[in-house]
Amino acid sequence: MSAAPQSRKSKKKVRKPDHEPDPEFQIAPMIDILLVLLVFFMSISSTEVLQTNKEVNLPIAKEAKEAKDNPGQVIINVTYATMNDATAIEVDQRGFGSPSDMVPLLQDKVGKNPLLRVLIRADREVRFDFIRQVLQVVAESGVGNVTFSVVDKDANAPS
Amino acid sequence: MGGGAVSEDGDPGFQIAPMVDVVFVLLLFFMASAGSQVIEKELNISLPSGRSASAAGAVPTTPILIDILPDGKIQMNNRIYDSPTSRELPELRAWLKETIAKFGDKDPVILRPDPKTKHERVMDVLNAASASGVTKLTFS
Repeated sequence: MSAAPQSRKSKKKVRKPDHEPDPEFQIAPMIDILLVLLVFFMSISSTEVLQTNKEVNLPIAKEAKEAKDNPGQVIINVTYATMNDATAIEVDQRGFGSPSDMVPLLQDKVGKNPLLRVLIRADREVRFDFIRQVLQVVAESGVGNVTFSVVDKDANAPS
Repeated sequence: MGGGAVSEDGDPGFQIAPMVDVVFVLLLFFMASAGSQVIEKELNISLPSGRSASAAGAVPTTPILIDILPDGKIQMNNRIYDSPTSRELPELRAWLKETIAKFGDKDPVILRPDPKTKHERVMDVLNAASASGVTKLTFS
């Protein structure tokens, strides 16, 4: 007796739907992403980052110490343009023609914070004459704690 | 395949494999960009200014004068130390270490770079002095 033909097995058929409905528009994830981006850009534009001029090519000094917390600082960027051998000063995104123009600004800041220190970010090609003028102005404004900013290796050099 | 079961109506469900792939790509990206970042460090000096100068009763000290010439030579006591192209300045460091070992570090080191000296060279000397244990450094 031959086995009766199996009745149709109840097998799961993976049925392709005839058409898939479009996912509906969900605004909640979009708002989440927007807020994350907002928080990201807010944190990036901190005052420290805004005070540094990225075009300054800092000199290399391998035994320099790590930056430590400071009681308030002013960052003086001294840029150097190789094309026309021009040095320029920039503090807080403001340009200054000559170091002595900085005196009122520095005195004002020292008045608000007696423990202020000055961080000089000078390009490696700047002549010392200019730096001396800056140091003189800083000393006149009453700041004794002066620090130079350096890096320990070049960004594109193989480490 | 995927990370989730296929449910009955064809909806793919939660796929974890693509998420893990994205996480690894992001990790690789940040590893690569962190390697090329430079961290800024600092070299400290002190300036004689009214506010932070210590009490006027100055102890007589013999300052160590270091001249930096525009071509990069370092001169102290009429003697040239190291070649202009040496960035590490071993002779200067050795001399400074020796002096500090003998006399302590209370003597200030005064740097007198020529106006035409490059800032880079001045930083080399500052670096060497700081590495040798000089604590009182200033410019004149």
